[in-house]
Amino acid sequence: MRTFALALVLVVAATMVIGIAGLPPHGDPDGPVHTHVGARYLEQGVAETGLRNLVTAVLLVYRGFDTFLEVVVIFTALVAVLALPSATRQPPPPRGEGAAASRREADDAVPVSPVVFLVVRLLAPFIAVFALASLYRGHVTPGGGFQSAAIIGAMMIALGLVFGREHAARLVPHGAKAWLQALGPLVFAAVAFVGWRLTGAFLGFPADEAAYALREAMVVVLEVAIAVGGAVILAQLFMALDAPS
Amino acid sequence: MIGGVLLEIVAVGLVVVGVAFLLAGTIGLVRFPDVYTRAHAASKCDSAGAGSVLLGLALHDGFAFGDLKLVLLAILVVVSGPTTAHALARAAMRSGRRAWTRDERGPA
Repeated sequence: MRTFALALVLVVAATMVIGIAGLPPHGDPDGPVHTHVGARYLEQGVAETGLRNLVTAVLLVYRGFDTFLEVVVIFTALVAVLALPSATRQPPPPRGEGAAASRREADDAVPVSPVVFLVVRLLAPFIAVFALASLYRGHVTPGGGFQSAAIIGAMMIALGLVFGREHAARLVPHGAKAWLQALGPLVFAAVAFVGWRLTGAFLGFPADEAAYALREAMVVVLEVAIAVGGAVILAQLFMALDAPS
Repeated sequence: MIGGVLLEIVAVGLVVVGVAFLLAGTIGLVRFPDVYTRAHAASKCDSAGAGSVLLGLALHDGFAFGDLKLVLLAILVVVSGPTTAHALARAAMRSGRRAWTRDERGPA
C-alpha cells in the first residue's frame, strides 16, 4: 500500500512538473494568454469602455452578464440555504428535554476567550478600513466589490463569534435585511436598465468622455451594491449554517 | 556596498529560516498525533515561518517605504496565527478532547 501510494505521488508529481515545464514563460508576450482577447482588452479597453482599471472593464463591461449572474448565484445560494428546514426552524424539543436544554445552556455559558475577544476587537477596525480601501481603490488598482464583500463578511462573522449572534445580527437592520440580501441582483438589474436607456444595450455603459461622471457613478453604485449585498449574504450564510439544527 | 551585502545575507537568511519553519510545521501538521500538537506545529508556520519570510522580503533589495506593508503583514500573521491556534486548542479542550500521551496513545 505504501509503495502504491508513493508510486501514485511520484506519477502525479511528474505529470505536474512536466505540465508546468510546458507552460510558456511567465510574462511571455506570445503566450496564449496574451494573444487572444487579452491583447484586445489591453489595446482597446480604455478607449472602448472609458474605465481606467482593465479588471473592472472586463468584469463589468466585457463580461457584464457573467458578473451579473455571479451576483445572482451568490443570492441563490443564500435562498437555497434559507430554504433548508433546519436553517429557519427552531430545533424541535428532543426527548430528554432537560438534557438538551442544559446542553444548550452550557454552550451559551462558555465564555469567549479573552485572547480571541481582544484580538478580534483590535483587528476589526483595521479589517473595516481595509474593506473600504479595497472597495474605493478598486477603480484603479486591484480590489473591488467582491473582495470587499468577502472582507466585510469575514469581519461580521468574526464579530458574531466574539459578541454572540444576537449582537452581530444588529449590524444588519432588521427591516432592511431582505432588501440588503437582494441588493446585488436588484442594483445590477437597475444599472443594466439605466445602461439600456442610455446606450441601447442591456448592461451598456456610456463610453464617451462626456459621460465620464455618469459612467463612474454607475460603476461605483454597482461596486457598493456588490460589496454590501455580498457581505450581508456571506454573514447570513454563516449564521444560518451555524444555527442549531 | 558591504552594508548592502550584509543586508542581503540577513534577508536571505530570514527567508531560509522561515521556509525551514514552514516545512517543519507542515510535516508536524501531518505527522503529529492529536489536535493540540498539530495546532502547535501549524502555529509555527504562521508566526515563525510566514513572519520571517515576510521580514526577509521586506529587507531584500534594501528597505523601502513600500516594505512597511510587508512589516505590517508580518505583524498581522504574528498576531492572528497564535490567536487561531489558541482558539482551536481551547475549543478542543472545551469539547473534551484529551491530549495525546505516550502511555495512553490517546485519541489520535
